[in-house]
Amino acid sequence: MAFFTTKGRTFEVSVVISNKPGVREPEGETILHDLVAKSGFEQVESIRAGKYLRVRVVAPDPASAKRLVEKMCNDLRIFNPAAHSCEVSIGRVPGR
Amino acid sequence: MRVAVIRFPGSNCDLDMMTALRTIKGIEPDLVWHEDASLGGRDYGAVILPGGFAFADRLRAGVIAANSPAMARVKRLADRGVPVLGVCNGFQILVESGLLPGALLRNSTLKFVCEWTHVRVENTRTPFTSGLRQGQVLSMPIAHGEGRFFLQRAELERLEKDGLVAFRYCDASGKPTAGSNPTGTLHNIAGVCNKAGNVVGLMPHPERAAEALLSPLGRPDGALVLSSILRKSGGGRRA
Amino acid sequence: MNAEQLGLGLTPQEIATVRMSLGREPNETEWSIIDAEWSEHSSYKSSRGLLKLFPTTGARVVLGPGYDAGVVDVGDGYVVTLHIESHNHPSAVDPYGGASTGIGGVIRDILSVASRPIALIDILRFGLIDKSGHSRWLLKNVVRGIADYGNCIGVPTVAGEIEFDDSFERNCLVDVACVGLGRKGDLILGEAKAPGDVLVLIGGGTGRDGIKGATFASKNLKKDAGSERSSVQVPDPFMKKLLLDSLLEIVANHGEIRGMKDLGGGGLSTALSEVASKGGTGVDVELKRVRLREDDMSPTEIMISESQERMLLVLPSGPGGGKNVISVLEKYGVPYSVIGKVTSSPRLLLRWDGKVVADLPASLVTDAPLIDWPYEKPATPRIAPRHAVTAAEPGLKDALLALLSSPNIASKRWVYQQYDHEVGLRTVVKPGQADAAVMRLPNGRFLAIKGDGNSRQASLDPYEGAAGCVAEACRNVVAVGAEPIAMVDHLQSGDPSDPEVYWAFRETLRGMADYCKSFGLPVVGGKVSFYNEDSATGRAIKPSPIALVVGLASREANLRTMAFKHAGDAIVIVGETRPEMAGSEISARFPKSIDLPSRSPRVDAKEDLKTCRAILQLIEKGHANAVHDCSGGGIGVALAEMAISGSLGAKVDLASARTSCSRSLETAFSESHGRFVVSGGDGRVISSSLRGAGVKHAIVGTVGGASLHLAAGRSPLASVPVSSMRSRWEGAIPELMD
Repeated sequence: MAFFTTKGRTFEVSVVISNKPGVREPEGETILHDLVAKSGFEQVESIRAGKYLRVRVVAPDPASAKRLVEKMCNDLRIFNPAAHSCEVSIGRVPGR
Repeated sequence: MRVAVIRFPGSNCDLDMMTALRTIKGIEPDLVWHEDASLGGRDYGAVILPGGFAFADRLRAGVIAANSPAMARVKRLADRGVPVLGVCNGFQILVESGLLPGALLRNSTLKFVCEWTHVRVENTRTPFTSGLRQGQVLSMPIAHGEGRFFLQRAELERLEKDGLVAFRYCDASGKPTAGSNPTGTLHNIAGVCNKAGNVVGLMPHPERAAEALLSPLGRPDGALVLSSILRKSGGGRRA
Repeated sequence: MNAEQLGLGLTPQEIATVRMSLGREPNETEWSIIDAEWSEHSSYKSSRGLLKLFPTTGARVVLGPGYDAGVVDVGDGYVVTLHIESHNHPSAVDPYGGASTGIGGVIRDILSVASRPIALIDILRFGLIDKSGHSRWLLKNVVRGIADYGNCIGVPTVAGEIEFDDSFERNCLVDVACVGLGRKGDLILGEAKAPGDVLVLIGGGTGRDGIKGATFASKNLKKDAGSERSSVQVPDPFMKKLLLDSLLEIVANHGEIRGMKDLGGGGLSTALSEVASKGGTGVDVELKRVRLREDDMSPTEIMISESQERMLLVLPSGPGGGKNVISVLEKYGVPYSVIGKVTSSPRLLLRWDGKVVADLPASLVTDAPLIDWPYEKPATPRIAPRHAVTAAEPGLKDALLALLSSPNIASKRWVYQQYDHEVGLRTVVKPGQADAAVMRLPNGRFLAIKGDGNSRQASLDPYEGAAGCVAEACRNVVAVGAEPIAMVDHLQSGDPSDPEVYWAFRETLRGMADYCKSFGLPVVGGKVSFYNEDSATGRAIKPSPIALVVGLASREANLRTMAFKHAGDAIVIVGETRPEMAGSEISARFPKSIDLPSRSPRVDAKEDLKTCRAILQLIEKGHANAVHDCSGGGIGVALAEMAISGSLGAKVDLASARTSCSRSLETAFSESHGRFVVSGGDGRVISSSLRGAGVKHAIVGTVGGASLHLAAGRSPLASVPVSSMRSRWEGAIPELMD
């Protein structure tokens, strides 16, 4: 049984998967120390790297679209809860 | 004993595992395609998930493979106590299947590393270590880019307390030093097992260390791991 | 649009030849097909005539040059296949993508003759990483590209070579070679022999990758280096793995594939015209049946696209024809489409929705006219070998440590540790253990593999320098206990329209060909690449011939590594050392301290053959337990590497070596060819065996202790702890790169 009707509008949903705070982040550290800091951008304090997915879904409203994608990420282990945090937001640009 | 070796699109150590298993008297290995939900309808004494790049590690190593039909059956077998071994990518698949705890993150050096390591046996109560001694040092090679084991601090302490670490990187004398940790893995962890003790995952490749000819030290230590399942005193029951 | 408006790479003479041969003006699609096939990269028009100089036959040669891979018989129905590829231009622009598609390409050729790829070899050339951040960036990303692709697909990268020289700063050279294993009876050729057979395109979709890629490789990089990024092909090792698994399963189950060709440079144009030409047939293809990755592709774009991971199969037609092939492709999820059929009329007939859009004789497309470029020996050598001696000569210890920390000589572990070299359970002698890698074969024999180049020597004396690359590769194979049985080569130069560049190219080819003839080594394949130039200065790279040699050892007991084995073992230097300092690593490290009246090293193929046979005899009889060839850094570095590897020092009297050098520094570091360092339990037995073979040699010392002690007669010259040597040698590249 479908949880959501296939009627509705098309939404773009951003998913950002990053390491939980407290997990060592060698990729972000390397970009910071070996590239950015060395090139004169001393004001940059920290960089963390992650994975970005842009998901297009059909849903009746933005809240449903967000819930659908959150369920997808949880059910299919799009992120590993032992080490990752997963932020889902409506729109092409994460965080809105 | 019949052993199933599950092959996924992108597995590349499956044939090696078959070759190594065939050198052990008493083991008859079968290659099982990942889409076979019934595992060929056969009874297996153990299941092995080999190394490689199942689905090219897309999204995250092991996660897509964890959702294949064969893995659904492997999960049920594991719940019933059948011995399951995951090697390298296989370990990643077991973690993503929820059969083993934690996460395997990118090596702290950010580089793929292929080298022979020493590991110390930490838990002899699993079907794959029952033929070994506590603290025994084995020589086996690793070859991976994402082998840094991670658990949050409290859970990691509980894992250690429960004795669920199966193998730990160490130097030749058995000491788990920083220098013998090739990837920044927490507590030098090279392999873990589940609470029931029948599911084991490790990053080093026992199938590559099963013959003296292929070992730089001339020690077929990997065969000791693979042949442990033949011992009656191993954990777990037949499928 | 006529030819002149299309921006083709063809010369006016070539355009005229096409018009005359065809008797009409080709259309745009036809011009593009010819342009792709007649590019230097695809047609070898500047070199094909000269390549006939190479010896290509021998008792073990099953397939020589001209096919997707060379094939060599290794006994008991097994064959080993060889191929070498380069991806210089793409790698200079996008090192990661260029290097990984290079790997993809070389594996595809090995696969397309129906053999299983079992080993990869990377042979790389960069600018000076101790001086240039750009070269470090190139090295880092080329290695990552090779690693990601090779590791993903499960083929071990087991051997290689890296040279650092300023001339490669903006035009790095990325050579990758592959060795495959198959059964003689299972070989499949790239030909369509039977009219009525069906043509099936399998693998990845066709997109706009690498459009004009073949001509890109044949262009100078100087113009618009920044805008060339779209010409690089995108790698997909996962699709390649599916192709590999499915094709090998089909072959193992005797599925009927009548012909197979990989799609590389020139894409479909090359593949279709070559299977027709080789088969003496033609093809009739409907381009709408080609699976596309991008919308709105024109017939021209479809024909010249270089999208990766595609193969062309020739399958039997009729009911049930090809069923056992298709079912395996479907099992692995390999996409496929039937695009056409083989015809008896020897033409390349292409349709778009049924309408003919190109109709060319297959042979016109594949037989580009040869170009006989004028050549001229340079009046003065390009690189002046002499400097005024203005600095004091370094002490032997300082010189040795400087050489060990020089990137050309230092340990390459930083590189090979990123390559899975164990997958496949065949790697018996691993990187770092000896002069060559050794893979075990299913018939109980062992295959040694090594590739070598030396652009410094080749630029000073192209003939001797190129021959020297073959000599060195053979020595490396012999040092592990194997007899050289076949070679593939790669000749790399600048712009052939420059008479001095073309002269050097001819000399490198002659040098290698003559050496192979005298040594008895067949050349079963190879590549030529021109137009390698520094993009900023327009200066040609140093000529860079590469030799990739494989050898056969009959049993495990005949395999040797370089480490000193036991204290008390005797050390013997085989061969004669001459004052041939030009082009050597020591003269590069200390240009103002070494007086160079001498020339660069020369080869003597007949003497080398005698020496190599004698070394193999010593190994066979069990008299030698450690063998290392002398090359970069000469005797001094060879001894140091044997000591580091075995964690054992040695006492050596350089004056007792067979040498015509007047100074110890020259004896220690000259790079004369034809030499080995051997150690074993009984020096006299080694010596009498070598004497019996008529090979010059001398017992020079003993293994033991924790330091390398070098002396000249009674005068001590240097005492260097093994631990110091190790820390310099192991630390040099990681310190620069990490």
